[in-house]
Amino acid sequence: MIRIEPEAWKEMVRHAEATFPKECCGVMIGAEENGARRITLAVACRNAYEGDQKDRFHIDGRDQVAAERRARELGLDVIGYFHSHPNEDAYFSSTDLKHSWPWYSNVVMSVRGGVFSHAKSFIANDDQTAAEPEDLHY
Amino acid sequence: MAKVLIPTPLRQYVDKKDSVDVTGSTVGEVLTSLTTQYPDLRKNLYTDEGKLRSFVNIYVNDEDIRYMSKDATSVAEADTVTIVPSIAGGF
Ligand SMILES: [Zn+2]
Repeated sequence: MIRIEPEAWKEMVRHAEATFPKECCGVMIGAEENGARRITLAVACRNAYEGDQKDRFHIDGRDQVAAERRARELGLDVIGYFHSHPNEDAYFSSTDLKHSWPWYSNVVMSVRGGVFSHAKSFIANDDQTAAEPEDLHY
Repeated sequence: MAKVLIPTPLRQYVDKKDSVDVTGSTVGEVLTSLTTQYPDLRKNLYTDEGKLRSFVNIYVNDEDIRYMSKDATSVAEADTVTIVPSIAGGF
């Protein structure tokens, strides 16, 4: 189960809509207790994918380093990542799976016509051959 | 000692620590110290051929070592080495 607190969620939707029709991406920061994850801070990151970003993203590593630093300053952890699917449903694609890491929550946000539509969260297994949907609250 | 920041998924291999202080004057030496101390970490960072995995990026402070001297990038006492997961996707 993952719960995204209102301030963090607002930032994720803002970033996803502002980046449309390109894919957005970012880092989710919070804490995990007894398997329940709570996101209190979302950090919008630059999409460093070189090419058409309407259906691709690659989180800028420098932004991840900055987010990691911020999480530690707050006594929190990087719990996962988010990205958007412009004019596409929120599902975990094979490309998403291939370029993910295990353990993390991956929130995928569908944005249609520039407006947020729906979101889902997924966790990849250790060898990145499958991802399980995760109960997402926002 | 340089400080290595461990990303959340890999902390299970380093006694749940979020950072580890290790010796070494280059990135290669620092990571060798780290994986000698915590052998379970090795397969997560390196391929069987001993190359850094493509989805693992290493930063010294704010710099990606791929654009510096890779494994030979120097690490000073006060430097922070960050293991950064490469995260991408598309549909
Ligand atoms: Zn995706």
